[in-house]
Amino acid sequence: MTDTKSHDTDGSISLEGRVFRPASAAELAEAVELAFDYRGDVTLGLASGEIIAGYLFNRHAKGECPSIEFFPEDAATPRTIVYSAILSIAFTGEDTANGKSWESWASKKESERRAEAQKVEEEARSRGLL
Amino acid sequence: MAVPVSQMYSVASYVLSNKLRGVKRYPLVLMLEPLFRCNLACAGCGKIQYPDHILDKRLTPEQCWAAADECGAPIVAIPGGEPLIHPEIGRIVEGLVAQKRYLYVCTNAILLERKLKEFTPSKYLTFSVHMDGLKNEHDMAVCRDGVYEIAVKAIKEALKLGHRVTTNTTLFDDANPDRVRQFFDEMMDLGVEGMMISPGYSYHKAPDQQHFLKKARTKDLFSKILSRPKGSWKFNQSPLFLDFLMGKREYQCTPWGNPTYNVFGWQRPCYLLQEGYATTFRELLETTEWQDYGTSKNEKCAECMVHCGYEASAVSDTFGTVSGFARTAKLTMVPTSR
Repeated sequence: MTDTKSHDTDGSISLEGRVFRPASAAELAEAVELAFDYRGDVTLGLASGEIIAGYLFNRHAKGECPSIEFFPEDAATPRTIVYSAILSIAFTGEDTANGKSWESWASKKESERRAEAQKVEEEARSRGLL
Repeated sequence: MAVPVSQMYSVASYVLSNKLRGVKRYPLVLMLEPLFRCNLACAGCGKIQYPDHILDKRLTPEQCWAAADECGAPIVAIPGGEPLIHPEIGRIVEGLVAQKRYLYVCTNAILLERKLKEFTPSKYLTFSVHMDGLKNEHDMAVCRDGVYEIAVKAIKEALKLGHRVTTNTTLFDDANPDRVRQFFDEMMDLGVEGMMISPGYSYHKAPDQQHFLKKARTKDLFSKILSRPKGSWKFNQSPLFLDFLMGKREYQCTPWGNPTYNVFGWQRPCYLLQEGYATTFRELLETTEWQDYGTSKNEKCAECMVHCGYEASAVSDTFGTVSGFARTAKLTMVPTSR
């Protein structure tokens, strides 16, 4: 079944737009966890000077050399990046889960629901999915 | 009988073989998500909120076949996203049928009628059509008018071509038991092989007492829906899982029972929670801290009664206890005895 209704982010504040520059390993680990839970792209500032945007989908926080797995937005395969190479994490992409709960949908006015439904349908049609 | 004898035999022999060999953890249903992109945006759906470049990623047929082979589960469910969007869904299905997996393609059916020509009817292939209730309830749930009627038309066409068709329904605590019972009548009148039902999973970081209330409400709702069942109703799932939903049996979750594979890898620990990914199925089994999940073990699991965690527990009960086997046999032979 595809309905899970599992990402109720209503009532919490989205991290969209926030930038974290961790000052310690503990702060970095905390920022990585937030990025891992985030349903949007983040932009990483690396020690090498590289700036890279994409989706952080996994992390290995334990062990001697903690690392993340990250799909750059323009790449077909993921990259593995060690925690120690990360200087900053910016929540630059849209938080795609924000305001998408069932409760939020149900509380909207009928006209708002219809407008939103039409927008989704038009988008699917423009992608050739209908 | 809602499940064909050959499928029952296949699942029974698989479970018994694992039990006899003393295998502690084995998968029952592979949840294979070949893509996250959907042509609906159901409110609250937790499966499709990703950036576009992630929604555009697809598993290849070869990756899908390899995952099924590696996992070894006798049943494969293909949810998503909407699997019929996948340009190679026909090949994916063909390869999995060749592996003799019992396959459930979980679809909202918007594209089903157009895509049917890509599939050959088989005892191994079932279209599991997402139907969350009668017309008003379903269209509200999927946030688009007219989808119910499209799905009904597609179901009729698939049945006419000789395909196995079931429905899958997610129910929430606002469901009206009488309307759900009418919905069951309507689905059986369409001629579907069986229905699958499950409560929705709604994770709130709420105090525990609210979790317990939620679970109690779930049991109350399913008791009202499933008590005095009609002889015409057929369910394509374990009778003991339905008992569990009604509060008649207690189970611990079996999170490894329905392992999930998608573009990120093997999802830990289950279909609903995303606590990370493993590269291989073996790694998933061996390195996931299973003891941290399940009722009373994890806040996120406290109110969950979803099929992906508990159906495997119910099947294990059937083949692991005398009472479970006897109850399953009774409900299979006389479904109205519930």
